[in-house]
Amino acid sequence: MPGAESILRGALGVETALAEVAERLGRVTVQVRAGGRSAGAGVVWLRNGVVITNAHVAPGPRAEVVLPDGRVLTAVVTARDPRRDLAALAVTGDDLEPALRADARGLRAGELVVALGHPLGVAYAAALGVVHRAPTGARGPAGWLHADILLAPGNSGGPLADTQGRVVGINAMIVGGLGIAVPTHVVEAFVRDVETAMRGGARAA
Amino acid sequence: MSASSSGGPLAALSDDLAAAVDTVGRSVVAIHARRRIPASGVVWQPGVIVAAHHTIQRDDDITVTLHDGTTATATLAGRDPSTDLAVLRLANAAGAPAAAADGAPRVGQLVLALGRPGTAVTASLGIVSAVGGEWRTWQGGTIDRFIRLDLSVYDGFSGGPLVDAGGRVVGINTSGLARATALTVPASTVARVTGQLLSRGHVARGWLGIATQPVRLPPPLQRSLGTEADGGLVVVNVEPESPADRGGLLIGDILIALDDVPVRDPGDVLAALGGDRIGKVVTLRVARGGRAEQVSVTVGERPRARR
Repeated sequence: MPGAESILRGALGVETALAEVAERLGRVTVQVRAGGRSAGAGVVWLRNGVVITNAHVAPGPRAEVVLPDGRVLTAVVTARDPRRDLAALAVTGDDLEPALRADARGLRAGELVVALGHPLGVAYAAALGVVHRAPTGARGPAGWLHADILLAPGNSGGPLADTQGRVVGINAMIVGGLGIAVPTHVVEAFVRDVETAMRGGARAA
Repeated sequence: MSASSSGGPLAALSDDLAAAVDTVGRSVVAIHARRRIPASGVVWQPGVIVAAHHTIQRDDDITVTLHDGTTATATLAGRDPSTDLAVLRLANAAGAPAAAADGAPRVGQLVLALGRPGTAVTASLGIVSAVGGEWRTWQGGTIDRFIRLDLSVYDGFSGGPLVDAGGRVVGINTSGLARATALTVPASTVARVTGQLLSRGHVARGWLGIATQPVRLPPPLQRSLGTEADGGLVVVNVEPESPADRGGLLIGDILIALDDVPVRDPGDVLAALGGDRIGKVVTLRVARGGRAEQVSVTVGERPRARR
């Protein structure tokens, strides 16, 4: 059955590519612990040690960040924005691999997305789903990225990525079974605000 | 419709899925006929929209949001509670009909459920988890094929299409036919019911006018009746002036066979009473007073009061 054979090859190609996406995300995803509660996730955003997570994952001034290689670092929470549910953490390091990013506003409903995180304490678990509704530029619910994907507590702060392994959003909550992520362009704006604030302060950029 | 796969097989699959959503999404509409969030519907023919009956909670003042964001007034052409389908007509022949898939879906096949519970089309991905033969809903409707999904359906998805990876409509999803899960009414059933609703405004079903319940036939009774069947249906009600009443059926009769086909379950009688039997004579074999008798009944049409 040549037909069946070619179908199998196609499926294996998808499977391998999916594993590559998960592996790529695994290199830029960290565990974030704050106050001894179960861990959330975070994404290495900049090479100089800026890690992005949810504001609700890092409620205090400090947090503990576990890198993919197992190193445990103490992070300073440099900025929090509960409205966008984002927090910026600073860890010491200048050799961190930052996440590739893509603009979620270019996504179409039905496109495949991959999430990586630590759902219910299971470290570095991947999930596959599709874009349920891409974000518009608008404020309110339409401004978030809605994904048909099975997430759980512990995915918070972790990446939602496209088929190239580019981060399109930060998983923030589950509403009615849907995964809701902060789209990348909102994160970029948040990081710009943080950097501007830092330049205005004592630290040089 | 395979996309250029610069990003490899995963990206190509992703593009195909998004293209399927885009293609069929043009035929998916939002239907405003209830409180809270709108439900979904599919343009089945130009100017004709199929929806889930249970989401159409009023018969008038129904509006539809098309894929381009325009709003149109729709009129209810008819509804069939037994298959949870309703058909709406648009004033003009607006909307592009979706293409239906041929044949049965396969277990394991990738499918998308689409909805438009607002302005944007929304999608979820899963697989066909089980496919079976013809079945009857609890309200007596005949569904050509049982299609169960491993897929999340969200609020407002009822009436939306199940779509294969090639962008063809497998059927209409609804949460109104099973308690715990969403099922898909296959395209062939949708086409059949839609045709009847457009021409008559309702789906005609055969009717005898009896209520029955299963009963065991003890061996001595089997012997005196000369039947192998160890069960039948005891008639517990005969509606006055119904076809069964006019045919002479009595409370207490035990129905053993209908046109020589044994009946052991009330569903067996429903199965024999499709719309095509209306006006035709069926021969009922009954046990009455311990003896076998034949009763001829002309099948009527089921009254339409039930919703």
